[in-house]
Amino acid sequence: MSKSALPTTQPAGAPPTPAAPRPVGGALEYFRQRSRDLAPLTVLVVLSIFFTLAAPSAFPTLENWRNILAQVASLAVVSTGVTFVLLLGEIDLSIASMATMTGVIATMLYEGAKFDFGFTSLELQLPMVPSVLLAWLFALALGAVSGFVATRIGIPTFMATLAMLQITDGIALYWTKGSIKYKIPPILTTLGSDYLGPLPIIILVAAVVLLLGHLVLTQTRFGRYVYMTGSSREAAELSGINTRNIVLACFALSAFLAGMAGMLNVGRLGSAQAYGLSDMLLDSIASVVLGGTSLFGGEGGIPNTIIGLLIFGVLNNGLNLVQVDIYLKPWVRGLILLLALIINVYALRLRTRGNR
Amino acid sequence: MGHAVATEPVLELRGVSKRFGGAQALADLDFDLRPGEIHGLLGENGAGKSTLVKILAGVHGEYEGEMRLRGQPIRFASPAEAKAAGIGMVYQELSLFKPLSVAENIFSSNPPLRAGGLVDWQRLYREAREHLHDLGLDLDEKIPVGTLPVGVQQLVEIARVLFSGAQVIILDEPTSALSPPEAERLFAFMRRLRDQGRSLILITHFIEDALRVADRVTVLKNGRRVATLEAASATQDDIIRLMIGEDARILQRTYQEERAQLHESRRGAVVLQVRGLTRQGFFEDVSFDLREGEILGLYGYVGAGHSEVAQVLFGVRQADRGEIVLDGRPVQISSPARAKQLGFAYVPENRRTALQLRVELYKNISLAHLSGLTGWLLKPRRELAIARQQIQQLGIRPPNPLLPVGSLSGGNQQKALLAKWLVKRPRVLLLVEPTRGMDVGAKDEVLEIILRLREQGVAVLLISSEPETIIANSDRILVMSHGRVTKEFADEEVTKAALLRYA
Repeated sequence: MSKSALPTTQPAGAPPTPAAPRPVGGALEYFRQRSRDLAPLTVLVVLSIFFTLAAPSAFPTLENWRNILAQVASLAVVSTGVTFVLLLGEIDLSIASMATMTGVIATMLYEGAKFDFGFTSLELQLPMVPSVLLAWLFALALGAVSGFVATRIGIPTFMATLAMLQITDGIALYWTKGSIKYKIPPILTTLGSDYLGPLPIIILVAAVVLLLGHLVLTQTRFGRYVYMTGSSREAAELSGINTRNIVLACFALSAFLAGMAGMLNVGRLGSAQAYGLSDMLLDSIASVVLGGTSLFGGEGGIPNTIIGLLIFGVLNNGLNLVQVDIYLKPWVRGLILLLALIINVYALRLRTRGNR
Repeated sequence: MGHAVATEPVLELRGVSKRFGGAQALADLDFDLRPGEIHGLLGENGAGKSTLVKILAGVHGEYEGEMRLRGQPIRFASPAEAKAAGIGMVYQELSLFKPLSVAENIFSSNPPLRAGGLVDWQRLYREAREHLHDLGLDLDEKIPVGTLPVGVQQLVEIARVLFSGAQVIILDEPTSALSPPEAERLFAFMRRLRDQGRSLILITHFIEDALRVADRVTVLKNGRRVATLEAASATQDDIIRLMIGEDARILQRTYQEERAQLHESRRGAVVLQVRGLTRQGFFEDVSFDLREGEILGLYGYVGAGHSEVAQVLFGVRQADRGEIVLDGRPVQISSPARAKQLGFAYVPENRRTALQLRVELYKNISLAHLSGLTGWLLKPRRELAIARQQIQQLGIRPPNPLLPVGSLSGGNQQKALLAKWLVKRPRVLLLVEPTRGMDVGAKDEVLEIILRLREQGVAVLLISSEPETIIANSDRILVMSHGRVTKEFADEEVTKAALLRYA
């Protein structure tokens, strides 16, 4: 077909022809495109400098940084799962109670206990490895239930996982009857509170989980589908991707990692009980979002989550070191979280403006 | 009909012109609306119908020429001003609050209040009931609007516009979503309003409807008024001839062709058989065969149900009845994933929802057939190579696989969408409005790609509401109207006028 230059008029009803794509380039454009990653990094650096100046003898030491890392280690494990869920543009409110429940069940199975199912009850005492695995699989299964309810029945994940929060909370409470369990599977104690040389093993565990999460998200087909489902579910669906399975898998993974974090925490604290991890929910979602992963899905990733975790750790640690009134701490944390969220939304807007 | 006594017009346009950038939407247009008249407004897509009514309804305040309302020059700066002057617009997408009752909808902007600012519910229901009664509508005013059939919702919408004091009512394609009995009910209602002395403007694609219900019709073409006729003395063929005009023949680009000779010659084996396919409320009893290396055109007006056929074939929606046979085997298409597996590819009419706009071009191209390109682990180099190859073959510009697809022009986005499905050659390609809203060059390029696929033996279902696109590119044509196939053109000469007659 020849391309003649025949002049034509655009019909009035037709949408206007989109403008030619804007040229890419320039330092400003680069920063705008990277604003989602650079803004959190800046926050981390600024906070670190601030606390270094405010507590020069206590904050910038190797030992203190080791503390910071150890403090966020189990949080890092949950947050890896939360990253998957937020990348879909969904939310999982059940992670903290899932973590608590898994820790409790693993300990009870190992210690030996009576599990009451209402219609029947079961006396169980298992060796270490089956105890841990069984508890872990239980978490995985409940996560899959959340995902199933959300995708096949169509309940918004906010509500589905809120129900799961209650269910897992309830299971932990009912089986422990509020008691504290001390006979912990030794492997959990090893992973949770032992050292490898100068380094707490829990930090290594967290690092491995983060690394695996990163590899899955960036190097596998599944990871690509997670990003695409989060970026536009409709477009992913129209490309013949079974997005419901992707969502279901991410909720199972989120519960699986929450369960792992819960068990690590049991090992770290030396006891299991039905209370005590409720902070984990807000802390992990806050960390992921602080790192710049979009609340609306499709953008962000594990590197962002690592930055977010560090911001969170530095903030908590630093506020302790500069001796902020303990009653003031939640207030300051809330304020900083709000600020970070504003930055998050603003960064998204900057990028979107660049692309449309 | 005798209602339109030759009196002073309610509303009059004199020498109105309107430009959008370089495009002349209306040129030196005269128009008049009499009191107690139903006035049909006809013309092809882009003839200027919607621009005209948007000027009347105050949406466009900037134009050359003059508007007179009951003899007085007037210019509306906003829709609110037009509304205050008694001009009401009923849009295609109804603007009703579905969960609220009929009465609440009628009073949505100014409910009657009691002292203290609380809503006076008794008065609201009473006045709504009286108003509906005056209009001859027998409706329960307390029933939620969303539970009513679409046709009745339309009547509620009109009642609402009237209640706000409108004397001139503009209806934009009110029947496209209505069944024939519902349309009849609407027409009866329109006649009753006319007999009460109100004036109505009816924009429609359905020439027959306009001739039946209107007193006069005005035909627009390329932003100009071609003619205003007494409806009683005009025929459908007259109107079609006026709408298309003679000068169109001069334009020789393929997509603007008026007629074409259809050939049977290039048919291969039957790939897809569709039998009695029905999705209630959208289309009924649709049957056809599609062969290798054939482009089957499916034409109809917007809302005729043809684009929903593609949705069902790709598993986006489910059929209520009917059979789909692929390569001789009956298949269930339960999801897009299943459709893809069977060898279907789908380019929907809204391309922006089918692309990951913020995501790089190459990831968009590789997405649909990612499992064929890579294993569990991604192979970015292979992905990029395939993307580059597609970019080159389809001529996507700029040819940078790392750009977000949302930054490309509309035509290039469409090519990207095609590229995604051409990574692995599909058995059946479902195309809905593949060239809509594109400039001439981009249209040509996209159509050329489609013709190339036909040469390679792909079975193409080309679905469009643009007769030119269908005529110029199809081997065979089915026309759909109100959800049913009304005509098949094969092995014969087909003209645009013929298509319009069956739509």
